[in-house]
Amino acid sequence: MDDHCISALADASPVHRHPPPNPAAPLAVELEDIHKSYGPLEVIKGVSLSAREGDVITLIGSSGSGKSTLLRCINLLEIPNSGAIRISGETIGLKTGRLGRTEPADHKQVERLRTRLGMVFQSFNLWSHMTILQNIIEAPVHVLGVPKAEAIDHARMLLDKVGILSKADSYPVQLSGGQQQRAAIARALAMQPKVMLFDEPTSALDPELVGEVLRVIRQLAEEGNTMVLVTHEMAFAREVSSEVVFLHQGRIEEQGHPDKVLTNPDSERVRQFLSRHLSS
Amino acid sequence: MNWTLMWDSLPRLLAALPLTLTLVFAALACGGVIAFVTALLRLSDYRPLVWTIKTYVFAFRGTPLLVQIFLLYYGLGQFDAVRTSVLWPFLREPLWCAILALSLNTGAYTCEILRGALQSVPAGQVEAARACGMSRTLAFRRIVLPIAFRQMLPTYGNEIILMVKASSLASTITMMELTGVARKIIAQSFAVFEIFILAGVIYLALNFVASQAIRLGEKRLQPCG
Repeated sequence: MDDHCISALADASPVHRHPPPNPAAPLAVELEDIHKSYGPLEVIKGVSLSAREGDVITLIGSSGSGKSTLLRCINLLEIPNSGAIRISGETIGLKTGRLGRTEPADHKQVERLRTRLGMVFQSFNLWSHMTILQNIIEAPVHVLGVPKAEAIDHARMLLDKVGILSKADSYPVQLSGGQQQRAAIARALAMQPKVMLFDEPTSALDPELVGEVLRVIRQLAEEGNTMVLVTHEMAFAREVSSEVVFLHQGRIEEQGHPDKVLTNPDSERVRQFLSRHLSS
Repeated sequence: MNWTLMWDSLPRLLAALPLTLTLVFAALACGGVIAFVTALLRLSDYRPLVWTIKTYVFAFRGTPLLVQIFLLYYGLGQFDAVRTSVLWPFLREPLWCAILALSLNTGAYTCEILRGALQSVPAGQVEAARACGMSRTLAFRRIVLPIAFRQMLPTYGNEIILMVKASSLASTITMMELTGVARKIIAQSFAVFEIFILAGVIYLALNFVASQAIRLGEKRLQPCG
């Protein structure tokens, strides 16, 4: 990894646009006809979506549209009732278990694939009993078996990258929301994932802290990381995405290049959503 | 106040401390194991087990420890099946009965303390562990249990102090621990006030040490000191 720092990058290209999707790149994530219900309530009604390596796919839509649920299906934090999930071409085996619920056929496979999917949560979810550094080396050491010294070096580099190296020995409660979220991003990156998943990473932050987190995510996008993110930051989505997917009541209402979907959408619903969001 | 008697009785009372400490440590150790196992079973999906644990906790929290001690020591011996069983060499000994009763009692309370602590671990932190590929067992060992232990420590400290005091009930089944010895000295000297004051002070000293140890533990385990 290189040693450039965030502040320099932030000023470098404020009008950066993600390059168009590369149709030749291998598929990183594929969702095929995903259905998900909670009891009688169907929240995802047959969604197919794919991300090629280097893609930055943004899921938008009003609350309750199913975008977070869809994202959480990718790493099986939510188990779809039907449909197929493929990570780098490998299909996750699902079976019908007790009480007719769908469950992973092989937990080991799910755990192995999850190590390739870095997840960043809305509420950070840092482990409260560990320092920031311990948070970051935990999974590399205990899941991947990376030697501790190596994991620490990597963790320090990542903390430097997200700009909170000085907080390495602090506990999560001692950090601001923005710092905690940057630590959580570093924790996800420490696994050297193939794909990063962001579930409304700035929604729990005070407005003045949103920028510092978006800067880090933008940098990751510019470095060519494959990402799927759920966000309400429309301007940001337009800047970093290679594709924007608008979900409405569990279905894809419109998807395409951000300049198209976010400025001149075909769907009246998307138009209304945008006018609400851009005016506020 | 008969100060001389108090001073002279002190060595005899202190000589009873090892037995009191044995009762307390044995009960806390066995009770801890019982609590760990029962709390896990209590949180399992298997209904019959859950109900068994619930009944155990209900019975041992809902009845006086003195009654439990009497039932085990005096009550069980009235059954031939118990007297002829391999457990009889243990169950006829007041020491083992006392340890068993104290363990089952503190086990029931600690089971509930631990269960509450395990359930209070934020779901998001468990989810984060699962999301980076940890198995259920690894997530439990590395994330859930350490957080739950920190959570339960203050309440568990209370339980330790209660156990120190509860060990005095063993004197009712002939155990010559602190209270047992105190009562014996009183029977000989009739100095009820002096000797019980002395015994009380020794319990106070024990619990002072216990509470300091708990506070130290809490401080060490507290994120951000």
